Amino acid sequence: MDILIPPAAKKCKTTALDEDTFGIKAILSDEYKTEIRLIKVHSSQLESKQQLQIVIEELAQKLPHFQHLKRVHDSNVLICPTADIEDTLEQHLKLHKISDKVLAALCRKVNVVEVPASWAKLRTQYEQMIRYWPCKFHPDKYAESLHNGSNFTASQRVYHKRMAHLLRNLSKDVCDGQPVGICVDPRQPSIVAIAAGNSSGSSSHQHCVMWLVDHVARSQRGGAWPSPLSFVEDVGQATRTLRGMPQTYYDYLRGHEASRDLLCGAELPRCGEPSSVNDDLQAGNLAKYGPYLCTGYDVYLLREPCLMCAMALVHSRVRRIFFLELSRNGALASTFQLHAVKELNHHYEVFQFTTA
Amino acid sequence: MAAFMEEALVEARRARDAGEVPVGCVFIHDDKVIARGGNEVNVHRNATRHAEFICIDATLAYCREKRLPARQVFSEISVVVTVEPCIMCSAALHTLAVKEIIYGCENDRFGGKSVIDVAAVVGQRINITGGVRAEEAMTLLKEFYKGDNPAAPPVAKKKK
Repeated sequence: MDILIPPAAKKCKTTALDEDTFGIKAILSDEYKTEIRLIKVHSSQLESKQQLQIVIEELAQKLPHFQHLKRVHDSNVLICPTADIEDTLEQHLKLHKISDKVLAALCRKVNVVEVPASWAKLRTQYEQMIRYWPCKFHPDKYAESLHNGSNFTASQRVYHKRMAHLLRNLSKDVCDGQPVGICVDPRQPSIVAIAAGNSSGSSSHQHCVMWLVDHVARSQRGGAWPSPLSFVEDVGQATRTLRGMPQTYYDYLRGHEASRDLLCGAELPRCGEPSSVNDDLQAGNLAKYGPYLCTGYDVYLLREPCLMCAMALVHSRVRRIFFLELSRNGALASTFQLHAVKELNHHYEVFQFTTA
Repeated sequence: MAAFMEEALVEARRARDAGEVPVGCVFIHDDKVIARGGNEVNVHRNATRHAEFICIDATLAYCREKRLPARQVFSEISVVVTVEPCIMCSAALHTLAVKEIIYGCENDRFGGKSVIDVAAVVGQRINITGGVRAEEAMTLLKEFYKGDNPAAPPVAKKKK
């Protein structure tokens, strides 16, 4: 039996992505960081409980801080962040037109305390926060599942991992080690388009993602860049289109055991009325209106995209991004988190494949 | 350089007449327009076909044709565009290290200067001047958005 161990161990190396140590980690914005942020705050111990109501009412109106906290704890009232005060606390209160009566009650016994700076997004944050000050918390099941990695079903995880494998293999076997991207319609799931970066390196803006977006456009009878590759042509009255698939990559998929059974093809663009069937929340506008840019699609990338590419995927309304390797100029984890910028008009989820 | 804004506005109007978001752009090299274009998103079904990208592609074609070194040409280019470049375009222009960007009105939805500091993320600073004939550029956009973008599905209901 011992003899069997070395080859088995060797085999493990090539299938490392299938092991349990291999994970898919959601890249969440800083609000979801486990370490909580604290701020210094003036608090006041009130003399009597009778004062409470009038003090609270006035503070809520004139110094409406700390929505995420209970304003009172053990007859201690939170007044304002110490950083807000330019001169003295008393002057600050006068400036905000606090009545003499409340001012007197507040200024009797003032302390500085540390309290959580913002809302608890996750239970672990909440549990840390209440050690400092009682706070409010609205549990968010989905955020918790993203944080602890339980958001995918077993079969979804298997598919994501297969895409990770495919990215590596395509890059190694047919793309000269260049970055590779795969766009998937997650409803089936089915591969819509595949693209790789330019190996010639002639155009510094023709990154893998920019090609991928253009190949998806081809599946919708669009596309702007003349490609050196030839694309799969649809035969007869196809209901799905393979126009986003370069022939060489498609042949590779069909020629290899590991990828032979993967579904390929995109829904054709619809014209006319939105369909009322299939109206599940998951796919939203894609199910209702059919393909438009990359709406509802997932994108798998070998490398973390740069800022240009990350924003291209925002414009394209991608649903989720999965990537394998960090990039020096990556804009989703390494140098920046574009998906955490609230002002943008579209937000995708970001996941990184991790090998422990 | 600002005189070239009229050329960019011509491209923006041309884009509008083609049913595209009315943004126009010209690239200036040696006081000459070497590339010009407006948005071509709807016609190509590709959300990255902004006026700046049309001009980047045209400049590369120009360099190939004239056998000029693209990197050097880009470093000598003034980008004149009717609307502040978005984060994607701004990142591309910073990476290509163009000489300067001159724009009309601000883009407070996804501007590469108004929303995030692209120069800091990319690690490259270039001269950027805004507010050149801003009102005309803004009027074009406002008139366009009064109508519907025919290629886009209806706006999704706001979550929460």
